[in-house]
Amino acid sequence: MSPTTSTAKPDEKNVEVAWTPSTRERIPGGIAVAALMAAMVGMLTLAVVNVFTAASKTFNVWVHEVGKLWMPGAAGIGPYSGKETLALVAWLGTWLILHFALRNNDLEISRWFIVFLVGVGIATTLIWPPVFEYLAGH
Amino acid sequence: MNTLDDVREVREASTASLVAVIAIMIASALGFVLLTAPLAKLMGSGGGALPAAIHGLMAFLYLFVGTIGLYLGWRLLTGQIRAFADLQLLAVVAATFSFLAICFGNWLYIYYRAPVSDSPRSYFVKNMPEVHRIFFEFKEFSALFTLPLAVCAAFILWRYGIQTLERPWLRYSVAVLMGLAFFYLVVAFGLGAAVTKLRPA
Repeated sequence: MSPTTSTAKPDEKNVEVAWTPSTRERIPGGIAVAALMAAMVGMLTLAVVNVFTAASKTFNVWVHEVGKLWMPGAAGIGPYSGKETLALVAWLGTWLILHFALRNNDLEISRWFIVFLVGVGIATTLIWPPVFEYLAGH
Repeated sequence: MNTLDDVREVREASTASLVAVIAIMIASALGFVLLTAPLAKLMGSGGGALPAAIHGLMAFLYLFVGTIGLYLGWRLLTGQIRAFADLQLLAVVAATFSFLAICFGNWLYIYYRAPVSDSPRSYFVKNMPEVHRIFFEFKEFSALFTLPLAVCAAFILWRYGIQTLERPWLRYSVAVLMGLAFFYLVVAFGLGAAVTKLRPA
C-alpha cells in the first residue's frame, strides 16, 4: 500500500480516506514482541496449569486456594478461579518484565511472531479435553 | 424570496440535538418496556438467569464488534485499510467486551457448577457427560484466550499508530491476533449457546 496524502477543503469536515506517513521516530519492535510473548505465556500458563490440575488433586486444591485469595465468588467458581489468576499473573507479569527488557531493542517481529503462533498452537492443543486428560493420565 | 433561498435558510441540526432526540427515544422505549414487560419470564426462572442474560449480552456485543473487527483486520492484512482509526477504536471495544464477558461468565459459572442435583453441570455429568467433559471444558478455556489476544492487538495498534501500516509484520501480527481472537470467541459463543440451549443455568 502506498501512502497517499489528502488535504481537506476548507468547507469539508475531516473524513479519513487515506493515511499519511508517520512523522514520529521509529518505535522499536521489542515493544510489540514483549506484548506478543506475554500473551503467549499467559495462554500457555492456563493450558499447562490445567493439565497439572487434572493430574494432581493436591495441585488442584492449591490452585483453587490461589483463586480464593482475591476473586469474588471463587469458592463457587472452583479451581477455574485459580487457573484464571495464574494465567493473568503470568501474562501481565511477563509483559511488564519483557516490556522493560525489550523496549529499546528493535527486534525483528517476523521471527517472534512465528514463535507466538507455535505457542498459541500448543496452548490450544493442550486445552482440548481429550489431549489434557490423556496427558494427565486419565 | 425563491425556493432556493428558503432551503439555504434551513439550519443544520446540531449533533447535540440529534443525540438528545435519540437518547429521549431510547429512554422512552426502555421506560415503556421496563414498566410493562414481564422481564423475569423473558430471562428465565433459574438462579443464574440474570448473570446468564448479562453474560450472553456481553458475548453477543463482542461477537458484533468482533465481526466488524475481523473485516477491518482483513483489510489491514491486505494493506487496503482506510478506516485505521475505526480499527483502533474497535480493538479497544472488543478487548473491553472480552473482559466483561469473562467477568460475567465467572458469575454465571457459579450457578452452572452449583453442587445441587439440578444444576447444569450435575445434569450433564449424569445424562450427557461428554457435553461437560469436552465441549464445556474447551469453551471455558477458549473464552479466556480472547482477552490476551484482543488486548495485545489493541495495544500494538495504539502504541505504534500509523507505523503499524508502514511495517508489514506489524500489520500481519495485528490482523492474525484479531482473527485468532475471533476464532476463540466463536468457539466459546457457539458452545456456550448450545450448552445453554440444552440446560439453562
